[in-house]
Amino acid sequence: MSKTFPNLFRVSLLAGFTMTAAAGVAFASPGHGLPFGEPAKASQATRTVTITMRDNLYEPESLTVKSGEIVRFVLVNKGELLHEFNIGTAAMHAKHQEEMAMMMEHGMLTPTGMNHDMAKMDHSKMGGMNMGDMKHDDPNSVLVEPGKTAELVWKFTKPAELEFACNIPGHYESGMAGLIKFTK
Amino acid sequence: MNKPISGFSRRDALKLAGAAGIAGTLAVYPGRRSFASSTKEYTLNVEAGRIAVDGVSSNAILMGGSVPAPTMRWREGEEIVVYATNRLAVPTSIHWHGLLIEGVMDGAPGFNGYVAIQPGETYTYRFKLRQAGTYWYHSHSAMQEQQGMYGAIVIEPSGREPVRADRDYVVVLSDHTQEDPKRVLSNLKADAGYYNYGKRTLIDFFRDANRYGFNTALKDRMEWGDMRMDPTDLADVTGYTFLINGRGPRDNWTALFNPGERIRLRFINASAMSFFDVRIPGLPMTVFSADGQNVQPVRVDEFRFGVGETYDVIVLPRDDKAFTIFAEPVDRSGYARATLAPREGMEAVIPEQRPRTILSMADMGMAHGGMDHSSMTGMDHGSMAGGAMSGGAMGGMDHSKMGGAPMAGMDHGTMGHGGAAAEGGERRPFGWADASTPPGSKALDYADLKASTPNSDGREPNHEIEVRLTGIMERYMWNLNGRPFGKDEPIRVAYGDRVRLKFVNTTMMAHPMHLHGMFVELENGQTDRKPRKHVVVVPPGKTVSALLTANEPGDWPFHCHLIYHMEAGMMTRFIVEPKSA
Repeated sequence: MSKTFPNLFRVSLLAGFTMTAAAGVAFASPGHGLPFGEPAKASQATRTVTITMRDNLYEPESLTVKSGEIVRFVLVNKGELLHEFNIGTAAMHAKHQEEMAMMMEHGMLTPTGMNHDMAKMDHSKMGGMNMGDMKHDDPNSVLVEPGKTAELVWKFTKPAELEFACNIPGHYESGMAGLIKFTK
Repeated sequence: MNKPISGFSRRDALKLAGAAGIAGTLAVYPGRRSFASSTKEYTLNVEAGRIAVDGVSSNAILMGGSVPAPTMRWREGEEIVVYATNRLAVPTSIHWHGLLIEGVMDGAPGFNGYVAIQPGETYTYRFKLRQAGTYWYHSHSAMQEQQGMYGAIVIEPSGREPVRADRDYVVVLSDHTQEDPKRVLSNLKADAGYYNYGKRTLIDFFRDANRYGFNTALKDRMEWGDMRMDPTDLADVTGYTFLINGRGPRDNWTALFNPGERIRLRFINASAMSFFDVRIPGLPMTVFSADGQNVQPVRVDEFRFGVGETYDVIVLPRDDKAFTIFAEPVDRSGYARATLAPREGMEAVIPEQRPRTILSMADMGMAHGGMDHSSMTGMDHGSMAGGAMSGGAMGGMDHSKMGGAPMAGMDHGTMGHGGAAAEGGERRPFGWADASTPPGSKALDYADLKASTPNSDGREPNHEIEVRLTGIMERYMWNLNGRPFGKDEPIRVAYGDRVRLKFVNTTMMAHPMHLHGMFVELENGQTDRKPRKHVVVVPPGKTVSALLTANEPGDWPFHCHLIYHMEAGMMTRFIVEPKSA
């Protein structure tokens, strides 16, 4: 990293990720959660939802959940591009899109995958996103490379205006986002 | 809308066309029932009329009753029948720009056996749609597009759309003149600088001398004199009013949205002569299609496009406010403007126009002296192909070796290229490619375009065809390989050939080069996902190449889409010989 990028870049990177950290603090509640939900274990899930990712859309395009429900999402990337599955509000997604754009610009992400050579970066400064081995330390998000399948287990604790979305540059705009509706 | 004098609204024209279509199916093709369900029929009358732009009335040629002509909304796989009737006193034609189509249906008189539609006659176009995306249609006769003969084509894919949009608008850009195009051309032939109101003056000379040093400024002048061109000739026709969907800046065409919606905008450059820089201040655009062909989405703040090109973008306005769609021609002689708004009657600020760039000698492929162009425009001297210049004394120079070597006449002390902005003065754009994009803003570059699906033909080209874009501006002579259409040698390739087209621009103007009948794959640095284009913009002094699989037999027009350049002879015949039996 420091070998290839001038210091200026590094500064901007850090500045960029400070936002994430700040956002994390603002939303953080004990146990890694967000105001509307938290990660859970697969064994606790009462329902499995399979979502297919294509270039650049989801199937299905929307989702209905209940408050308190624990859903195991199985994310199958049938496209040729890298995709994300991220649960959040539209504002959270908008913010995350800026970060993703920066990661793409700096080569940490490529249109088709992750730059594993950059795994040696100091992830502690990155707001919890472990870009190297694709562990979703950002608990509400997972990245899925083309042809791969990943899982995310999420407890929807209380109703909110949520979307599941792919924040890879251009994908959200293209319509790779779906509404999460709550029923009682 | 610009209500045509006939009293028919655009909607009426479409209704009529629809009704005629049904009757036509039953009466004319009774034996083809199996096609009837997927056949759409239209009647397009071409007639003289008048339109009003910003409240000013002028002559126009109406196709289907309006300017622009009615938007064709089709679906991939459909069979289309169009009855085109010529109600003018002169021959006309309709060309389907960007469509993969049988030669005789392509609509270019003198090519593929197609003959212009004579006054009073009707020509029946019939073709099956083999593609999806945004295209357009226009006259291919006697500069009639300049008079309003253009309209949009929207083809829905048989599968899924590449994006999910809540609203879908066509944004047709054009340049309108009250003058008769034939008059414009004769003015240009008499004096190529006729419309160049921005000619550099003695005052400019002294300003340059102050800024860059007397010798540099003088040398620059002398070189321009040698080239017999003028450094402000960015567009050779000005005095235009720039239109969006047939509306002038004051008419303010408006598209509605609800905040939070995804809006698809299909930008089509249907102008006769204008390159536009397009932006929507406050609203980034995600480009996902170029020339009707899907590309991987790329987020930009602005893009420049040439005559004949199209870009599909998606925008997501989240706020309950209006946005201005702003398109400036590169010569900055005016602007086209429209509005995206949650409600009718809303307006956003119209941005200030950006400064007009000064062409650099680099735009002539000879950045060998004078001002330091490289640091001002980011131009790559190493790839400038100096050897391509016709008869230029500098032709043999190897720019890549020029490194930091001091160049004749260069005065680093007085150039102040970085200083222009630092001094607090307005940064002065320099060179054709300089759109005055503000720092931090992203302008679309050809290199950003990456096809959404891999190219189907991975073969290396079996031959290379060099096409030199040539001309003598002063005499308004524009041609290819030094020979005007009619005195040219057609390009011949065999069916199935894999060809590299190398465009070498030896002139000081950018040329949007259009090949009918086939897409080319632009060599923009992508490997197996080169974008497919029907128009390739070749900037001044640059070389651009594209690959092509010659899989559409015919003799296809291959020309500069600047209408007066084409009219002056910047066209040739691209012949794909059919498979021998």
